[in-house]
Amino acid sequence: MMEWIMANMAPIMFASLALFLISGIPVAFALASCGLLFAFIGIELDMLPPSLMQALPLRVLGIMANETLLAIPFFTFMGLVLQRSGMAEDLLETVGQVFGAMRGGLALAVVVVGSLLAATTGVVAASIIAMGLISMPIMLRYGYDRRVASGVITAAGSLAQVVPPSLVLIVMADQLGRSVGEMYAGALLPALMLIGAYAALVIVLAILFPKMLPALPPEALIYKEPDGGSGLRSLALLALVSVGAGWLALRFYPLVLQAVDRNVDAPKDELVMVALAGGVLFAFLAALVDSVTRLGLLSTIARRVAFVLIPPLLLIFLVLGTIFVGIATPTEGGAMGAVGALVLAVVRRRLDINQCMDALLATTKLSTFVMFILLGATVFSLTFQAVDGNLWVEHLFDQLPGGSTGFLIAVTAMVFILGFFLDFFEIAFILLPLLAPIADKLGIDLIWFGVLIGINLQTSFLTPPFGFALFYLRSVAPAEDYVDAESGKTIARVTTGQIYAGAVPFIAIQVVLLGLIIAFPQLVIGDRAFEQKIKLAPGVITDRMRNLQPGGGYKAPEMDMDALFGTPPGTAPAPEAAPAMPPEPAPAEKR
Amino acid sequence: MIPLLLRLSAGIDAINRMVGRSCIWLILASILISAGNAWTRKLFDASSNAWLEIQWYLFAAAFLGAAGYTLLVNEHVRIDALSQRFSARARAWVDLLAFLVLVLPFCGLLIYLGHELFWRAWVSGEMSHNAGGLIRWPVYLALPVGFVLLFLQVVSEIIKRGAWLAGHRTRSQDSEADLPPLRIGGAAPQEGGR
Repeated sequence: MMEWIMANMAPIMFASLALFLISGIPVAFALASCGLLFAFIGIELDMLPPSLMQALPLRVLGIMANETLLAIPFFTFMGLVLQRSGMAEDLLETVGQVFGAMRGGLALAVVVVGSLLAATTGVVAASIIAMGLISMPIMLRYGYDRRVASGVITAAGSLAQVVPPSLVLIVMADQLGRSVGEMYAGALLPALMLIGAYAALVIVLAILFPKMLPALPPEALIYKEPDGGSGLRSLALLALVSVGAGWLALRFYPLVLQAVDRNVDAPKDELVMVALAGGVLFAFLAALVDSVTRLGLLSTIARRVAFVLIPPLLLIFLVLGTIFVGIATPTEGGAMGAVGALVLAVVRRRLDINQCMDALLATTKLSTFVMFILLGATVFSLTFQAVDGNLWVEHLFDQLPGGSTGFLIAVTAMVFILGFFLDFFEIAFILLPLLAPIADKLGIDLIWFGVLIGINLQTSFLTPPFGFALFYLRSVAPAEDYVDAESGKTIARVTTGQIYAGAVPFIAIQVVLLGLIIAFPQLVIGDRAFEQKIKLAPGVITDRMRNLQPGGGYKAPEMDMDALFGTPPGTAPAPEAAPAMPPEPAPAEKR
Repeated sequence: MIPLLLRLSAGIDAINRMVGRSCIWLILASILISAGNAWTRKLFDASSNAWLEIQWYLFAAAFLGAAGYTLLVNEHVRIDALSQRFSARARAWVDLLAFLVLVLPFCGLLIYLGHELFWRAWVSGEMSHNAGGLIRWPVYLALPVGFVLLFLQVVSEIIKRGAWLAGHRTRSQDSEADLPPLRIGGAAPQEGGR
């Protein structure tokens, strides 16, 4: 009996963890106490050294000093401030008005707004609830097919798993030991493809089944010009001129680079960012000038779009742009985004001190539970590795046929099923540290692996009957027939079956995209523009070095804490190494 | 006996409410400092390791300090797919036993290990290895202090679950909505929770 236990310590420990987790005690404590219990058993059985737990404080310190994880409160706070200052509501209303006049317009608006919310707030529950409360009743009022309406909301609302600069990608990068910049760059194209595919599906449906996605009737369009026109022509003109401005920004960007002594060709992703930011900034300034001088050149809806749609876009560019260009680390990018969101909310008088404190309190609690899951996972992994659990997991996957493909299929299936029960953070902190080394050994690109897991999780959140996204929508969609206040008509309830059915075409899109990414890894890896920038452009690095020299006092990076005390597996490399350097250059040096 | 324990629990809750809600300012400071660091580095070519390190000092203090509070308002996430089918009494029993047998020892261990870490740094005056970096003991201190607060809160939760099971309390656990809202001036009516 004893022998059997000792020989099978790792599987027994893993099974116990599953038991602890489903018993419903807090995840952090389940992980920690499982680790501690088996450390105790192992020490009693003379399997493990009594000093095992002595390694714990330094691992905890590694978590405390992890610069990347600092991004968790920053991005959370940014999202909460945007959410509480009513961004989702404003966006849905305005974008709905822009597209509303055409068939399928409201559904398109949900896709656009869902993507923006995913990038900025990154909270699936909040996005879906906002869209379910605001867009759903409007779509139902004007006769949208219920399945289409709920499908588009759940799919667009769960995009947060994959759209940069979402927090999910930061934590993923940290757990995979890769730079956040690479992760963003890798996820960018797949995310855009997903959004594009959602929009395409909506458009195709609107063409094939006009009755399922009707246009808003004229009386529902609230932004009208004095002469009765829609003002959309003015908006189109503004958009066109802004594209021109973006193009100009692209043309003059090299001159700017020369002016700041960076004589290098900027990589593609940076150029795209500059062009977009230039165009968007121009549109905003134009609307501002028009509104301040009361010129009246722009229509109501054009001004409205400029003032509502552009601030969140600018925030995304601020965060992504500073990270891609190398001005800021992802953590600092998040902090700037948070400050930007705060400034926006205050300028628009949408946030008072009490709401701000509530947002801070919610941020504090979320960061605490996330960091404690990580702490618990550390205790667990300390013991799990001591009983050779990582070898056991590796061995499990060894027996699979098909090498790296077999591994990927097994992981995909596993993550998909676990996604029904576990949230992202649990999967990231418990599963990724076990899987990443195996993937790495099999020669799987970890960025590609991470993006696959992200899309996979999103699919899982969408899949009936367990998907989280479906539950969130169910909680706000009308469960009883109701009388619509605006039209006076009785509107039938949305059944759970309709919510499930609505998700199906979107799941199909997810599966096709997953297949595409598996078949064509270059969609994620691309030409590794990001890495090349670092390799080919020492300018970024020397620029940074120069910044550090004149202040005096900066000495060469010290030996990092992990090197001194042993690397905690699964945590990011070198929390303290050269804190003044952005983490981006690290991967290039690693190879 | 039970009224005494409940008063102890209420006292612990009050302490953790105060400490946890103060931690929000550490988060805000960390955000402002981090954003400031990026700007000063770009605009003024200046960078200071002390300012970079204070970011994570503040965050570490915040999440360790707020751990007890997060437990108080029951926001450490749980996987409730199965447990939501249990009766409320069964859930309270699971919590009570797990907290008593598993979580208290865990907190105790980290208090012990954390205090050693702090004590060594305090005696040796350990400094950051980065030039111009900060002295280490304040952030090491956050570890045992945070776990003492968590330990106390676990005790309080055990009391509350037990008292509820014995019929001495109307709720088995509290949530944010049961506490007075966080308002500027702080002094919202103390017993006025919804």
